[in-house]
Amino acid sequence: MAGVELHRLRKEFGAFVALEGLDLRVEEGEFVALLGPSGCGKTTTLRMLAGLEFPTAGEIRIGGRVVNDLPPARRDVAMVFQSYALYPHMTVAQNIAYPLKKRGVPRAERAAAVARVAELLQLTPLLDRRPRQLSGGQQQRVALGRALVRDPQVFLLDEPLSNLDAKLRAHMRAELIELHHRLGRTMIYVTHDQLEAMTMSDRIAVLSAGRLMQFDTPGAIYDRPANRFVAGFIGTPAMNLIEGRIAAGRFTGQGLDLPLAPGLPEGPAVLGVRPEHVTIGEGAQRGRVRVVEPTGHETIVIAELPGGALVTARAPARARPAIGEVLPLGLDPDGLHLFAADEEGARIDPAR
Amino acid sequence: MAMTRIERRYAWLGLALIGPTVLVFCAVIVFPLVAAIYLSLFRIYTPTLEGAWVGLGNYAELLARGEFWQALRTTLIWTAGTLTLQMLFGIAMALVLHQSLWFRSLARSLVLFPYFVSTVVAVLVWRWLFNDLYGILNHVIMVAGVSDMPLDWLGTMPNAMVSVILVGAWKYFPFVVIAVLARLQTIPEALYEAARIDGAGPVARFFDITLPQLRDVLVVVVMLRAIWDFKEFDLIFLLTGGGPVTATQTLPLVVYKEAFSMNQMGMAAAHAVAMMAVMLVFMIVYIRRTRGGQGA
Repeated sequence: MAGVELHRLRKEFGAFVALEGLDLRVEEGEFVALLGPSGCGKTTTLRMLAGLEFPTAGEIRIGGRVVNDLPPARRDVAMVFQSYALYPHMTVAQNIAYPLKKRGVPRAERAAAVARVAELLQLTPLLDRRPRQLSGGQQQRVALGRALVRDPQVFLLDEPLSNLDAKLRAHMRAELIELHHRLGRTMIYVTHDQLEAMTMSDRIAVLSAGRLMQFDTPGAIYDRPANRFVAGFIGTPAMNLIEGRIAAGRFTGQGLDLPLAPGLPEGPAVLGVRPEHVTIGEGAQRGRVRVVEPTGHETIVIAELPGGALVTARAPARARPAIGEVLPLGLDPDGLHLFAADEEGARIDPAR
Repeated sequence: MAMTRIERRYAWLGLALIGPTVLVFCAVIVFPLVAAIYLSLFRIYTPTLEGAWVGLGNYAELLARGEFWQALRTTLIWTAGTLTLQMLFGIAMALVLHQSLWFRSLARSLVLFPYFVSTVVAVLVWRWLFNDLYGILNHVIMVAGVSDMPLDWLGTMPNAMVSVILVGAWKYFPFVVIAVLARLQTIPEALYEAARIDGAGPVARFFDITLPQLRDVLVVVVMLRAIWDFKEFDLIFLLTGGGPVTATQTLPLVVYKEAFSMNQMGMAAAHAVAMMAVMLVFMIVYIRRTRGGQGA
């Protein structure tokens, strides 16, 4: 078992910089998600960890050992591919046994290991089938089995659930969490789905355009986003981001006028507030109802502020405000986030 | 069962739609086949096309002749030899051209050259290369000191058979390249990446992934090339004319000889039908065996 360290990891494809100097330290046995929109460099990072791509600069350590120049087979990592990459002409048993076979494990030992993994993943009745005779979820489990059988130091998972339908995805998510709990192995999981990242990981590394935006626990990332990108990317419906300025201890903009905690620098800023911290029907602000979306367990209301900006709010399930109605609107003072108005959009905290 | 009016109309429409295809099929496949079998039952003098019914007489004579059996043996040696080389060169070249080389697109076009060149032109060029007085092959051999005498490439055995097989391999391996290369490009890269992580080296990746993935296309390519090589005429006829004496005389050359040198059209037809029967047996065995190994 081993942790993984990335030190100033950089990858260029010609003139395109896929990753600019990533620093990341994954502890032993930790489940870390690499989360970000497509093209953010998360898959490139994973492929460099696996040894399928080589870094332009920087260092990769697995279990304290620099593996930059080692071929994939000598890094003691296993990878589950988005497409599963099962060998189509081999049976399930042969697929799972393949990594052992290539490492010269004797036949009897191989059979025992395959039987053990098949038992763990409920694949025993399917061992003689070929991949194309399996459903998506079953193929997914075979791909996991091929990774598990060799008991590697680190598991790399590249969007393993993205080809499954919604119901199966929820089921496999639970299975993966349980599996990680049972094995206690280091797992690095690439996804663009924040729900997967939030529910499964110990810590999440949020990436954007080849740069690390924030690396923290799901709770901290949700509660204290480090910048505007993370604030807008995490959470559904997305956090409301309202442009304005801080002056004399108050935030003003788009018709809002809110008292703030003392000690904030004056000047232009962006106010962030999650939909669950916006109340419709009571409060000191006002908004005109534009859209009402009942989802069953809650109602999403989109209201227009006097300044024209739209604000999303979570209302109780049976709330049915009339469209066009001007209602009072409240912003929970404990749910306010402030970000710099510049390109970076870094979080602004009161000076202590 | 009574048909409704609309069902009857659809039945007629169906017949009308497949009708043209059936007619063309009969005209170009069934008629020549039946005609050949019919001709083979007569003794026919080619220039006048007048003949007498001999029943299975042509076949009896054919089977009793040593020439048929020798030609069959020659045909099998030629087919097996040239087909093996075509497959080996073809697969190897396809693998090379699948790599990202800087001259790849140029090389991919150039490799098709032998396949596009007309057989007559190709054979004339090869005859020059093989020529014992002016040929570059003998020149190189003598300059390199391998031999102090020019080799007779086409006039002695086994040289003539070797030469014919080599030229055949050169001429037709691009077909294998095209088919294999097309299949190689559709093998998902992730399979190779998974195999690398699983610990497979380049050789293991070829045997565990590439070859099984090529299997289906190779079955088809071997079958097509075997049929085409078995009935190859112009390349051998132009290169050696079946010689020295009859050492490279394959069955198609015997058919030609019977029809136009011996003026025995019936006998030629009997040889052609016998050829077809031999090929049919091989193909049935081959298809059975390649199908049997394929699970699911």
